[in-house]
Amino acid sequence: MKLITNIKLAATIAFTHMRARLKQTLIATAGVTFGITVFIFMVSFIQGSNDFVQAVAFEQSPHLRLYNEIQTAPANIIDRTYPGNINLVSHVKPKDILLNLKDGPQVVQALQQDPRVAAVSGAVSSQVFYRLGSSSINGTINGIRFEQENALFNLQAKLVEGSFKELATLPNSLVVGIGLARRLNVKTGDRLEVTTDKGNNFSVKVVGIFKTGLTDIDKQQSYANLHTVQRFLEVPVSYITDIKIKLHDMELAPAMLPELQAKYGFHGSDWKQDNSALLEGDALRKMIVYGVAVTILLVAGFGIFNILTMMIYEKMKDIAILKAMGFSDTDIRWIFLVQALIIGITGALMGLVFGFLAAYGISKMPYKSDVMITLDHLPVSFSAVYYVTGFTFGMLTTTLAGYLPSRKAARVDPITILRG
Amino acid sequence: MNLIEVRNINKYFYQPTKMQVLNDVDLDIEKGHFVSITGKSGSGKSTLLYLLSTMDTDFEGSICINGEEMQGKRNRWLADFRNHHIGFVFQFHYLLPEFTALRNVMLPALKLARYTPAEIEHRAMDLLQLLGVGTQANKRASLLSGGQQQRVAIARALINEPLIIMGDEPTGNLDSQNAAIVFDLFRELSSERGQTILTVTHDDDFARRSDKVIHLVDGRIAD
Repeated sequence: MKLITNIKLAATIAFTHMRARLKQTLIATAGVTFGITVFIFMVSFIQGSNDFVQAVAFEQSPHLRLYNEIQTAPANIIDRTYPGNINLVSHVKPKDILLNLKDGPQVVQALQQDPRVAAVSGAVSSQVFYRLGSSSINGTINGIRFEQENALFNLQAKLVEGSFKELATLPNSLVVGIGLARRLNVKTGDRLEVTTDKGNNFSVKVVGIFKTGLTDIDKQQSYANLHTVQRFLEVPVSYITDIKIKLHDMELAPAMLPELQAKYGFHGSDWKQDNSALLEGDALRKMIVYGVAVTILLVAGFGIFNILTMMIYEKMKDIAILKAMGFSDTDIRWIFLVQALIIGITGALMGLVFGFLAAYGISKMPYKSDVMITLDHLPVSFSAVYYVTGFTFGMLTTTLAGYLPSRKAARVDPITILRG
Repeated sequence: MNLIEVRNINKYFYQPTKMQVLNDVDLDIEKGHFVSITGKSGSGKSTLLYLLSTMDTDFEGSICINGEEMQGKRNRWLADFRNHHIGFVFQFHYLLPEFTALRNVMLPALKLARYTPAEIEHRAMDLLQLLGVGTQANKRASLLSGGQQQRVAIARALINEPLIIMGDEPTGNLDSQNAAIVFDLFRELSSERGQTILTVTHDDDFARRSDKVIHLVDGRIAD
């Protein structure tokens, strides 16, 4: 109780001091405000862009992928036959295996029952040549069931012209990436030739053009019906090469991967592995934002430090007289700490408001991008976490900037001053 | 009854070289007395006052005020003791310039928190009126004249009904008319209210009219 009245008294003295130096106080507050504003603005904008780029990339990347890969056998047959001997085999060559997933359609069905799984799609993908006239372009053809694949990747939203529906009804139909369409100069309704790696030629009709925003995909991929591609490759209807899985909680992916691999014996990867460079870039950008924000806040902190230090030099006499009256060192410390805290809290709150307004402002700014078709305004994140962090940062720096001078004030020796 | 008992005080200054300022000082101050400490500059009179004020804690010997030993007490305890029992009047007024006269008087009482803020304001107003500066109550301290400031300072020293009022040349910076007013105030407080007053002065006239004079020569009490 006594402590509270003491702090209250210190606060009223602090207020009087600040009112007497209104201009300096406002400048110090503006410093903190500016620091927090820039932090909120930058972090919102950068996080918004990160989120957007991630969303684009992750929309094309399943949470889990199961596939087969050509690999050198880990142990050779002589080792297995004569385990005790030292066997040397030079130039082991990888075995030619079928790239299909054994019992793929059954695995897809089993995974659909898994409560953690939101959507599963079994697909065939293969390297092909797209040919039109004398030109031929290397690329990938994906044989999909549209309903399954759409549940994972929201393909419908990426369609620029034509339709995916015709894939199932029209034999030998294809939806091509926009980059690929441009290179081949084809439109919806045009025909082109597809050559498989076994040398078979098929004439196909373009029924649609899609755009994901990822150049790699748009320039060389196409979608066709699962059975169409199986027919191109001369494989049975049970032949699928990729199982793509979308989970309800994507964070579970790294833990689920080994479980599925052990269960089915396929290779696999999760979204974190597939997008490690993107995630790393994310972390680095965030570090830069925090670095800049901390620097700005440090500068603001120095502002507060300076103003309080100056004020303490001006107020030496007052400090001495207050001590003579019976104010303890702690009371004196509170007087100056309260000033720093008021500057800090006001500055930080105003910074949050201005930061929000600035972020809101640019989020309404129209922005057209050739690469990111779904983008019409600048992407901005309004996550509350950054507001809490910004406020905490602001409070920490101002408290520290106030604490050091206030300690100095508490140590003022009243006698040297009162004696003149 | 002795309000202050000082035994064998030795005090050294260490800057620039070690020097003894007070040498085996013994003194007693009775309750209700108006005591002056005199001496040439450098005789140690201010040093003695600041030791008695409890703000200077670096000394050898013993200082007892109201039966409490000051030697070895902690800063917070001493601050609280000053707040309760000691009122100060300084040579250069030393009011807080941004506060009103009334607020200046109220501050020590607000710190003490014995009464509610409303009562404190009432008492502070009474004191200002008693000292003839009631009309200046709501003016900022920096706008008052020297004599008015010193009377406000005396009101502030009195607000917590201290055991003792200490003055460091309280009339030293005033013209003779204001000095006379302040002196008469002290005299009145002492005789009518039984207020113990201890001031350092080199005004011989001031000293002669007090109850007791402690004259310091080179850090010793001269008889």
